[in-house]
Amino acid sequence: MTNFKFTEENLKKIDEIIKKYPVKRPAVMPVLYIAQEQNGWISQEVMLEVAKILDMHPEEVLGIVTFYTMYYQKPMGKYHIQVCTNVSCMLRGAYEIYDRVKDKLGIGNMQVTGDKIFSLEEVECMGSCGTAPMIAVNEDYYENLSKEKVEEILESLKKS
Amino acid sequence: MPKLVVDGKEIEFKQGQTIIEAAKEAGNTIPHFCWHPSLSVSGNCRVCLVEVEKMPKLVIACSTLAAEGMIVHTASEKALAARNAVMEFLLINHPLDCPICDEAGECKLQDYAYAHGVGESRFVEEKTHKDKRVPLGPNIMFDGDRCISCSRCIRFCDEIAGAPELTFVKRGDRVTIVTYPGRQLENPYAMNVVDICPVGALTNRDFRFKARVWDMSANKTICQGCSRGCNIELWVRNNEILRITPRQNDEVNSYWMCDHGRLNTFKFVNADDRVDGPYLRREGSLAKVGWDEAFAAAASELKQFNKNEIAFIGSAFASCEDNYMLREFALNVIGSRHIDFMRHSDSNFGDEILRKNDITPNTMGAELVGVTPAAGGLNFDGIINSINEGKIKALYLIEDDILSANPELENTLAKLNLFIVHSSNFNKTTTLADIVFPAAAYAEKNGTMVNFQGRIQRLMPAVATLEQDRSLDGMAMSRLDKFGTRFDRWAKGNKRDVRPTWKIILSLSAAAGYKLIRQAQANMAEDIFEIMSKKIDAFKGLDYDKIGEKGIMLKIDVAEKA
Amino acid sequence: MEKIVLPDIKDLHLIDVYIKNNGFNAVKKALLQKPDDIIDQVKRSGLRGRGGAAFSTGLKWSFMPKTTDKPKYLCVNGDESEPGSFKDRQIFEYNPHQLIEGILITCYAIGAKTAYVYIRGEYHKWIKLFQKALDDAYSQGYVGKGMKTKFQTDFFCDIYVHKGAGAYICGEESSLMNSLEGKRGYPRVKPPFPAQFGLWGCPTTINNVETITNVPAIINNGWEWFSKIGEPKHPGTILYGISGHVNKPGVYELPSGMLLTDLIYNYAGGVPGNKKILCVIPGGSSMPPLRGDKIEGVKMDAESLKAVGTSIGTGGIIVMDEDTDLVKVLARIAKFYYHESCGQCTPCREGTGWMLKILNRILNNEGSSKDLDLLISVASNIEGNTICALGEAAAWPVKFMVQRFRDYFEKRVSPEVLIPVANKVHSMRHTAFPIADIKE
Repeated sequence: MTNFKFTEENLKKIDEIIKKYPVKRPAVMPVLYIAQEQNGWISQEVMLEVAKILDMHPEEVLGIVTFYTMYYQKPMGKYHIQVCTNVSCMLRGAYEIYDRVKDKLGIGNMQVTGDKIFSLEEVECMGSCGTAPMIAVNEDYYENLSKEKVEEILESLKKS
Repeated sequence: MPKLVVDGKEIEFKQGQTIIEAAKEAGNTIPHFCWHPSLSVSGNCRVCLVEVEKMPKLVIACSTLAAEGMIVHTASEKALAARNAVMEFLLINHPLDCPICDEAGECKLQDYAYAHGVGESRFVEEKTHKDKRVPLGPNIMFDGDRCISCSRCIRFCDEIAGAPELTFVKRGDRVTIVTYPGRQLENPYAMNVVDICPVGALTNRDFRFKARVWDMSANKTICQGCSRGCNIELWVRNNEILRITPRQNDEVNSYWMCDHGRLNTFKFVNADDRVDGPYLRREGSLAKVGWDEAFAAAASELKQFNKNEIAFIGSAFASCEDNYMLREFALNVIGSRHIDFMRHSDSNFGDEILRKNDITPNTMGAELVGVTPAAGGLNFDGIINSINEGKIKALYLIEDDILSANPELENTLAKLNLFIVHSSNFNKTTTLADIVFPAAAYAEKNGTMVNFQGRIQRLMPAVATLEQDRSLDGMAMSRLDKFGTRFDRWAKGNKRDVRPTWKIILSLSAAAGYKLIRQAQANMAEDIFEIMSKKIDAFKGLDYDKIGEKGIMLKIDVAEKA
Repeated sequence: MEKIVLPDIKDLHLIDVYIKNNGFNAVKKALLQKPDDIIDQVKRSGLRGRGGAAFSTGLKWSFMPKTTDKPKYLCVNGDESEPGSFKDRQIFEYNPHQLIEGILITCYAIGAKTAYVYIRGEYHKWIKLFQKALDDAYSQGYVGKGMKTKFQTDFFCDIYVHKGAGAYICGEESSLMNSLEGKRGYPRVKPPFPAQFGLWGCPTTINNVETITNVPAIINNGWEWFSKIGEPKHPGTILYGISGHVNKPGVYELPSGMLLTDLIYNYAGGVPGNKKILCVIPGGSSMPPLRGDKIEGVKMDAESLKAVGTSIGTGGIIVMDEDTDLVKVLARIAKFYYHESCGQCTPCREGTGWMLKILNRILNNEGSSKDLDLLISVASNIEGNTICALGEAAAWPVKFMVQRFRDYFEKRVSPEVLIPVANKVHSMRHTAFPIADIKE
C-alpha cells in the first residue's frame, strides 16, 4: 500500500474546482476524476486522500465511488473498451460487436488483458443511438460501426 | 388545534407534523420500517403509503405533512394493495428463515409480514446473495441478506452518534452497508443500530443467539453507567440478565443508550463473585454465616466504639432508600456525624450526547437524602484522614468498591478496627472487611435514583432473590416464567440470598435494640420512600406511582446541587 | 421550416458566428425587461419541458420564491441518458452559445446568480466542446462579471459545468441535485420541490438543455410566434431522435405534432429492406411502446401521444422491424433499469431485478403464460409506489409491452403449468389487522 498524493498541478486544479461551489463537497466528483486520471483507478488510498482534502468522511467518498460506474475500483487497461448494448445499438448489431471484441481480446466484462493494454466493459446507452452501434475507447466515441471496423480499431490501438 | 381524519376518526395535530406522527399520537401506528421518530425522514421503505382523498397518487405518511381537513385512509383497498406490494418486494429477496434468525420475535418485517403479507410467495427466482456474518465492529454483526436498506443505521450514525461510520455502497438490489475498509463501527453509541434495525441484519455480538426473545422477560429500570440514568430494559431468562436495551424517554435518553451502559452494567449481577450471604471474618478469613449471627455480631462490634469513632460512607451507586436508611442509622442509632460518600468522576467519559462525567447513577440522590456530613461531621477526605490519624476506628460502607476506585486507600482501610461493608460482589474493598452483608444489586430491588438533571427515576427489580419472588413482586414474566415447569431448561433459575441495603440496616438496628422505624411500616422500598417524602423537601408529595416508569423532575435547583 | 434549436448555419458553435447571427441579442432585450415579464412571455409561449415530463416551463419558473434570503440556482439538465435520446449532445456541439444565452435569460428571469450545467460523464467530448464555448463567452464578457459592462446592467451570473460519472438516475432532477452536491445520486422525496428546497436547500429551477435553448428565440421573436409553431398545446419544434431500424437515423428538428409515420418514412428514410414495423417506442425506452400496426395517424406531441396511451418523453423514437425479438428487447430494457435503479426505495430496488429474472426465464424458454400476468402485476406494483419516476420508467415498458404484444409473448411461453411453489407460507391474509406496541 502506497500513499496517494495529488500532484502540485492537480492540487491547483482542485482549488479552482472548489471555487465553483458554495461548499467543498460538490467538488468530490470532479476531484475523483482528477485522481483517476493521475492514478489510473480509485484505490482506497485515493479515497482517503480525496476525503481529506475535501473535509469529507472516507465512508462518504466510498459511497459515491461505488454509486457511479465511471470510477474504476480496480486498474483497467490502457485502452478501456466500452461497448454499448442498449436497445438502439442492440437493434443494429451491438451484441455481435460486443462478442467480437470479447473474442478478439479474450476477456469478459470488466476484465483486463494480461498485457494490461485492453479492458472491456458492456455499457448502457451512451447517447449514440442515431449513430449506432458504437464503442468508446477511453473518452473517445467510435460510431456507425460494423464488426470489421471494430476489428480495425482494435488492431490500430494494439499497434500504437 | 387543526384536525385531520385518519381512518374515519378525527384527530388533532400540531402544525408541522406528518401524517404518521399525528396518527401515532392518536394511537394509530401506520406500518413503517425506515421512519423513526428520532431520525430524519428518508421515505425509502414505502410501506407507509396511504391514500389521501383528493391526492392523485398514494403518498407516504412519513413525509407528507398533515393538513387541516385532510382525509387519510391507511387501510383502504388502494392503500392495502400498495402495502401488500411493498411487503412482497421486501420479502422476495429476504431470507424466509425466521426460525433460525436471531431477530425473530422482535422483527418488524416478521410482524408486518404476519399482519399485512398475503402469505404466499409468487417469487420462484433465485434470491440475491450478499455477505453474511460481517463483523462491522467489535460489538455488531451484519447480515447483508437480511438487510432491507432502510438506512436507519446510517442515519443514526450520521445524525445521533455524529460518527458517519456506515455507508451504502453500490446500486439497486446490490446495495449493501459497509464501513470504510479497515475501519469499524465502534462509536460509543454504535449498538443502538441493533435496536433500530427493523430486521435481523444487525445483531448484538454480545447477545446474538443466546436466547429467543420470547423466552425472556423485559424489565423496566434505569442504567447504572453514569448520572444520565438512561431508561432501560433488562432482558432476563432463567433469572439471568442476558442483555440491556434502551427504553424510550424523551426527557432523558430518547431511544438511545451508550454501549458502555449496555455492555458493562449487568454482567456483575450474574457473576460468580456475588456475595451469597452474610460473611464474618474469622481467624483472618471471611466465613459465611447466618443473617441473625451477622446482625448480632455487627451490633455488638459497633457498640465497642465511641460514636465519634464510627464513620459512615454511603454510595452514589446505591438507591435513595438505601442511602437514607444509612443516614438514619448513622445519626439516630449510632449518633455519628461523620457521613459522606465518594464521588466518582471520569473526565474522559462524558460527551455532548448522553454520557456524563459523573459515572455514578445517584450522586444527586445521595446528596438529597443527606449522606453528607452532619454539623461538625467529617467529609470523605476528613474521614480518611481521621482513620489515618487513628481517630476514626470503625467504618460502615455501603455499595461502593472504594479501594478499586482509589488503590491508595489500602493502608488506610487496613488500619480500621472494624470495617462493615454492604456489597453485591466480592471485590478489593471486601477483602479488607470484617463483616460483609450481601447487598441486592440494582437489578434485584426497588428504589429510586436522581439523575444529573434532578429527575427522580425508579429502579425496578428484574432478578428474583430468595426473598423477592418474580411473580409476587410484580416483575415482568416471560413465557417460561409463566408456564415453565421444573422440567423446563430455563425455568429453574438460581436465586441468591441477598437483601437491599435499607432492609439490612433496619434489621441491624433492630438487633442493636433500636426501632428505627416501626417494622410494620417498612416492608417495601416504597414504604421507605413514603417516609422520605415526608421528611425531604425535594421528595414532597411524591410516591412511586407518581414517579412512574419514566421518572419525574424534582423541584430543586439543579445548578446549585451540581 | 425554420429551425430554432439547431439552425442550419455553418460553424454556429463559434462565438463570432453566433454573434453575427443575432447572437446574444435576446439576452440584451431580456435585460431591459422585468424578470416577471420574461416569465410571463415564456409562460404564454406554451414552451413545455423537453426532458420528458413536458411541464410548462414558464409555470415552473414562476414557482421560484420572489423574496428569499437564500441564493437561487439554475440547474441545466444535460444528463441525457434515456436510451434512444441523443439530442442534447447536438446542442453542445452545434449551438452551445444559444444554450448559454438561454441560461443567462433564465437566470435573469428567476433571479439566479449561478447556473450549473450537469452533463453526463460519458460525454467527455461534448463537455469539452461546451466548456470551450463557455470559456469564449466568458472571455468576451457575455457571461460572468463581464456582463455588467457588456450589457450595461447590474445583473450578472456565472455558469459552471458539472460532469456526471455514469448514473442514469441523475437525469432525475432531485437525484441530479444530490449528485451535484457530491452525494450518492438518490432522488429526494417530494415535496419539497426544487423551487422551495433545491441545491443546498436553496430555491432551484431545473430545466432540460433543449428547453433552455428555445428561450432566446422566444424572447427574440415573441411568444405569439412560438406558440403558433406545431401543435398549439405543445408548441415549438422538437428534436426528434430517430434510431433503431431506420435507413437514416439521427436527430431531426421539426415542429411538434409531426406524424410518427412521416418522421419514420419521410425523414428517417423508412425501414431497411422495406420491412414492416413491429413496434415503436416514441419517447425514449421508458415510454409505453406502440404496436407497429397502430402508428398510422399518431402525432408526436404530448397530448396526442397521451391519447394513444404513451408519452412524448425525450422525443427519442426507437423503431423495431418485424424480425425483432421483442422478448430480447424487453429483457434488455429491463436489464437497463435493473442496472440503473439506485436502490433507495423498495419497489424499484426489488422489482426491477424480479422483472429481469422473469424475462430472462422467458428468454430461456422457461416461462409460462402465468409469468406474463406476473410481469404485469409486478410492474403495476412498482408503478406509482416509488420515490421517483424511475419506478414508472422501469414498469411501463414491461407492463405495456406485455399488454400490447400479448399475442407475441404468448407464443414464447408455454401454457400455464401448476407447479408447487417451494416457499408457500401457511397463512393467507388479505386484510390488515393492527399490531399493538411495536417498538421503534
